[in-house]
Amino acid sequence: MSDITKKKMEQIAQMWNARGKGLITHMALEIEEVSSEGVRVRMPFNPDFCVDADQTLLHGGILTALLDSVFGLANFVAIEGVSTMATLDLRVDYLRPAYSRADVIVRAHCFRKTRHIAFNSGSVWFEGHENAEIARGTASFALTRGGTDLFDAMTKGKTS
Amino acid sequence: MDVQTANANVSRVPFFRFLNFEIRSLDNLHAEAEMTFDDRHIGNPVMEYYHGGIIASFMEATAAIAVQPDFADVPAKPINLTVDYLRPGVKGPLFARANVTRKGKRMASVSVITRQTDREKAVAEGLYHFLLV
Repeated sequence: MSDITKKKMEQIAQMWNARGKGLITHMALEIEEVSSEGVRVRMPFNPDFCVDADQTLLHGGILTALLDSVFGLANFVAIEGVSTMATLDLRVDYLRPAYSRADVIVRAHCFRKTRHIAFNSGSVWFEGHENAEIARGTASFALTRGGTDLFDAMTKGKTS
Repeated sequence: MDVQTANANVSRVPFFRFLNFEIRSLDNLHAEAEMTFDDRHIGNPVMEYYHGGIIASFMEATAAIAVQPDFADVPAKPINLTVDYLRPGVKGPLFARANVTRKGKRMASVSVITRQTDREKAVAEGLYHFLLV
């Protein structure tokens, strides 16, 4: 089923971890599992993403950003030959207050892909509390195919 | 509440400082804010577009201020959101306008539209719900 080589997985992980700038770098995302069935990513606790003076309550927006990023990664590995990918829409439910200094874990997958559109869903929880989800999201992405592969653009393009 | 006091509240929130925006106008049902572009907002490093999650966060922040500019400890509690991404957010300032469409005792519904220098072309539209209790 999986047509993604181990080598490509490693390259994807390396690319993500080595991107020179942008929000993903600030989120310090670590890929824990990646396959065409779905991905699991860890975001270490970061006080900059909190809303309270004590810095123990994460802002919902960072969870939304996290879902958006991880959906992108899930599509990246699940769909071959994508040249561009843009979020079309995104819905997030904040299920509980994000009150913790634990690392955040996200699991996301692409549950349907067509020529033009990818559909995603994902869940977010604090490490060790998988049964107490803090957010759940769904999104759709517009894809274009042909031309320069997104993977090549990302790995060979200007990344720093 | 005046804009200066609202901005003083904004500056107390670590994540709002990370987003780096200022309230430009405020009344009972509306808030307008401007966010300054920064490398840490980038989602697409090749094109240097804003990260969709940063746009959604900025709209959520502006919506929360529109609902409760005088928040005590933390901004208004978000329940959920829907964002429609209409165009890429390019390098440069982003302007959000939040409109409180309904504010009851327990719930508020807020719609937000985000634009850039070309005010005719929206970058994103969002619908946010907040719990007021």
